[in-house]
Amino acid sequence: MSPSNLAIIATVAPAVAALLLLVVAPLRHKGAPAAWVTLLGSLVSLGSAIMLLLGRVDGGADVRVTTPWIQEGSRAMAEIGVLIDGVSVPMLIIVCLVALCVQLFSVAYMHDEPPRAYGRYFTLHAMFLFSMNIVVVSPNLLQLFAGWELVGLTSYLLIGFYFAKPSAAQAAVKAFWMTKLADMGFLFGLLVLFVATGSFEWTSTPSAQVATWVTALLFVAVIGKSAQFPLHIWLPDAMEGPTPVSALLHAATMVAAGVFLVVRADPLFAQAPETREVMLWVGTVTAVFAAGLALVQKDIKKVLAFSTASQLGYMVAALGAGQAFAGFFHLGTHAFFKALLFLAAGSVIHAVHSNSLEDMGGLRKKMPLTTAAFVIGALSLAGVPGFAGFFSKDLVLGSLEGKGHWIPWTLLMGSAFLTAFYMGRVVIKAFWGNESEKSSHAHESGLAMTGPLMVLAIPSLASGFLGGWLASQVKAEYHVHLGLTPIVASSMAILGIVAAVVVFGRGGKAPFAGVLEKLDTFSLVDRTWASGYRIGLLGIASLAGWIDRYLIDGLMNFTGWATLEGGASARKLQTGLVRDYALMVVVGVVVLVLIGVLR
Amino acid sequence: MNAWLQVFSLDFAVAGAAILILALDAMGGISGRVLGWFTAALLGAVLVASFFFDPSGSVPHGVYVAGAWVLFFKRVFLVAGILAVLGSLDWLSERTPRRQAEYYALMLFSLTGMMVVPGARDWVLLLVAFELMGIPLYVLAAWAKTDGPADEPKVGPEAGMKLFVTGAASSAFTLFGLALVIGETGSTALSALPAQATMLTHVGMMMVIAGMGFKLGAVPFHMWVPDTYQGAPTPFVAFLSVAPKAGGLAALTVVTLSGWGTQQTFWAPAIAVIAAASMVVGNIFALPQTDVRRLLGFSGVAQIGYVLVALGAGSQEGVAMALFFIATYVFTNLGAFLVVHAAAQSSGGHETAKLAGLSRRSPWLGASLLVFLLSLAGIPFVVGFWAKLFVFMAAWRAGLGGLVVLGLVVAVFGLFYYLSVARSTFMSEGTAQEPIRAGLALKLSIAVCLAAVVGLGLWPKPLVDEANRAASAFMQRH
Repeated sequence: MSPSNLAIIATVAPAVAALLLLVVAPLRHKGAPAAWVTLLGSLVSLGSAIMLLLGRVDGGADVRVTTPWIQEGSRAMAEIGVLIDGVSVPMLIIVCLVALCVQLFSVAYMHDEPPRAYGRYFTLHAMFLFSMNIVVVSPNLLQLFAGWELVGLTSYLLIGFYFAKPSAAQAAVKAFWMTKLADMGFLFGLLVLFVATGSFEWTSTPSAQVATWVTALLFVAVIGKSAQFPLHIWLPDAMEGPTPVSALLHAATMVAAGVFLVVRADPLFAQAPETREVMLWVGTVTAVFAAGLALVQKDIKKVLAFSTASQLGYMVAALGAGQAFAGFFHLGTHAFFKALLFLAAGSVIHAVHSNSLEDMGGLRKKMPLTTAAFVIGALSLAGVPGFAGFFSKDLVLGSLEGKGHWIPWTLLMGSAFLTAFYMGRVVIKAFWGNESEKSSHAHESGLAMTGPLMVLAIPSLASGFLGGWLASQVKAEYHVHLGLTPIVASSMAILGIVAAVVVFGRGGKAPFAGVLEKLDTFSLVDRTWASGYRIGLLGIASLAGWIDRYLIDGLMNFTGWATLEGGASARKLQTGLVRDYALMVVVGVVVLVLIGVLR
Repeated sequence: MNAWLQVFSLDFAVAGAAILILALDAMGGISGRVLGWFTAALLGAVLVASFFFDPSGSVPHGVYVAGAWVLFFKRVFLVAGILAVLGSLDWLSERTPRRQAEYYALMLFSLTGMMVVPGARDWVLLLVAFELMGIPLYVLAAWAKTDGPADEPKVGPEAGMKLFVTGAASSAFTLFGLALVIGETGSTALSALPAQATMLTHVGMMMVIAGMGFKLGAVPFHMWVPDTYQGAPTPFVAFLSVAPKAGGLAALTVVTLSGWGTQQTFWAPAIAVIAAASMVVGNIFALPQTDVRRLLGFSGVAQIGYVLVALGAGSQEGVAMALFFIATYVFTNLGAFLVVHAAAQSSGGHETAKLAGLSRRSPWLGASLLVFLLSLAGIPFVVGFWAKLFVFMAAWRAGLGGLVVLGLVVAVFGLFYYLSVARSTFMSEGTAQEPIRAGLALKLSIAVCLAAVVGLGLWPKPLVDEANRAASAFMQRH
């Protein structure tokens, strides 16, 4: 089968599943069949993605198949289609593999939900995979935007899955709000690009000024979607969604769409050094800031959420340094080990019925498989040599080394230490230490849940060795070298772990924990946005409301009244008498003839 | 093959189908329902054949020309015919079980006339085809006669009568106008008009345009529209509200652009005036209507106004977009009428208020009606949006900025009345709760319309391409 058809199948299969579940209500309402339909769709997607991958391993060339979409006269304003290259195929594999693992995990994890909710859950999962694949295979920015908005919608629906719970509903709205705010950047960026170049291609070459504007606007959307400072605040709240959803959307794939966008639009970003400079700093600040906050979270999922924001910061910093491949590589390894961490956390939460680290402890004997999975993920995230995360993080840091980016390099090294430190804290608190009342009743989850963990553990361990291949796919340079960066980075990881054992092994608290906790509970960024909302938006809204109520409504009411009155009186013309109708025909002819003669 | 046979093959096939249906009925023993399905199948066969057999060509003296332009219209008519036959089937076998074959035959005869219109390049042929399209409609409009439930007002004959009297007046004007035109030029060929036409010819042209305007239901020749829509059988109105309008559009386009292409500066203002008047009057009169059929009637007047804006542009793009508009309008309006028909069958009335609770009783019907209404209102991403957008873009490029602005302003009224129907469908609680029963044929017809409106809304390109091809063939006189 041709690559383009495979890519289309990979994209459309989940859409068929979703459509089937949406239209055939009994399937959805019964619950279990919905899971099977969705899993089948994802399996077909993954199968097609693997075949695409095999095609590329055999040396298949890039394929771009498009067809005109929006017609303007006889010209196509926009195209849709698929682009199969070294970026989309690995990404497709990552997305489909993680999605399938997460969905399999969910079959057992969501088992106690009522059938209708269960069915709704899997329908949304199918919708999500479809939307994400649209993003991945997009040949241009417009289609990417369409997928981008669709993943935003499914994210909203899945965060608010437990919509009866006020905190979940609020978190969903907050996530929607913040990301939509940022998405305006995407929309305006597209507009500027289209007006300037007449296309939605990321390969177009506008003037330097336009390129700066477009990339800056696109980057605003990236800040929102990839939870960068200062729009990161929606991500911790998004943990209100079911844990497998956090694993798939809010760790592995959807939040990485921002990074993916920059990787895709790299030719545009290459024309805008100013934007890249900003990206470098935003990424660095996020990486450090979020790592600090991850250190004092009491909720295991929130640790992971802040950690996600922090790791996305690494990727953004690499992109800012102009090393798109480093960011993309880290995206890939991160997707695997972070999904693994979240699913392992889900397994723990399922066993102890609580998110709080206080309720865990001593779980390593009760849940050996889950513990092993979590530790593998944590070591990978910490960047311990040999694990996947080490290679990609090393590449990110190495891309900053010796290019005049010493300050970000140092900060990110510090953040690498923090990463190992806070992950050490979680591992010690949850799996070592004393059993709590809740954790004493815990027992290992079944194979349906540990199976996906084992599958994801493999790439979390080994995907780092694929760097060379991935680089050849995107035609980037890649060589492992023993220099300053890998030595410092691995020392940071090991130091962080040692420090965690020393400090938390005895039940201690992190240094500066008090300050960080204050920072966390005071949540300055949240407050700033809230007051900005209150003063700015509500102020404008009330002004607009006044104008609307008294000026526009008055005008509208008058127009409406005048029209209805006019209509009512004009209705008298429609007498119902056929002689009047015939007369009207005559009048019409006379008027037309007059027009004709008087011309 | 004989050139005449070739170019008229599809039209002959439809006429033959009509005679076949009548003959089968005369033999007896076949139920009307079967005849209905058979009619639809025959039309379907002709439609399929139109994709495999190319009737392109012309006959001696250029009286009739067949090409992409003609094929486009023929397919539109055939689709409308199939959908209308399927939509009428249940109603017909229930209400007038003793005369079903005639209904189908008359519809087929009208279709035959329609199918000849777009290719005619001779005044006599054009007029005969135009009348062949029109006369069966008078009969069909009055089809319900006096049968039906005793408590229902007997409005069938009135509906037919009003259509007939205004139709007769319009035909008289057309004929008189033609007499003037032909008398001045001395030829029945459409292209015989010299570049320097006399004033008398101009007067004649205006009269012909008026006659076509009647079939389109354009202001001020629209007076019959609401009354006939209200009185005639609703499934037939579904047909009447789309197919003859496409026929009228074909005739008007042929007459103005093909016949009087040199006189564009002369007829364009007249078309613009009719278009403006139709948009304004249609939209404003639709506002206070309480009967959905009347509301859709006036809405149809407004929609024809939009099409005429595109025609007024006089450009190839304008023609193409008018074609796209009318083809999508077939699905949208036919579908809307059929849903209203299905709902009225169960709730016993066509008032907007009677639609209350429809979405709860039959979610699919409710959703379909909503989609059709959104399409008529021109909301993205249903097909009506593209239709309106393309038409206005074509007009804007041709320099008709004033008409475009006027159209956009009055289209806002459209939102108001379309959505008020949708509101009573979705928001209000109805008294009846039981699901609406609709026959298979009716459901099938609605489903096709729904699929087309949604599908073309997401992917308008194939139809746009077809319309462009047809328009370009037309402009190159094929």
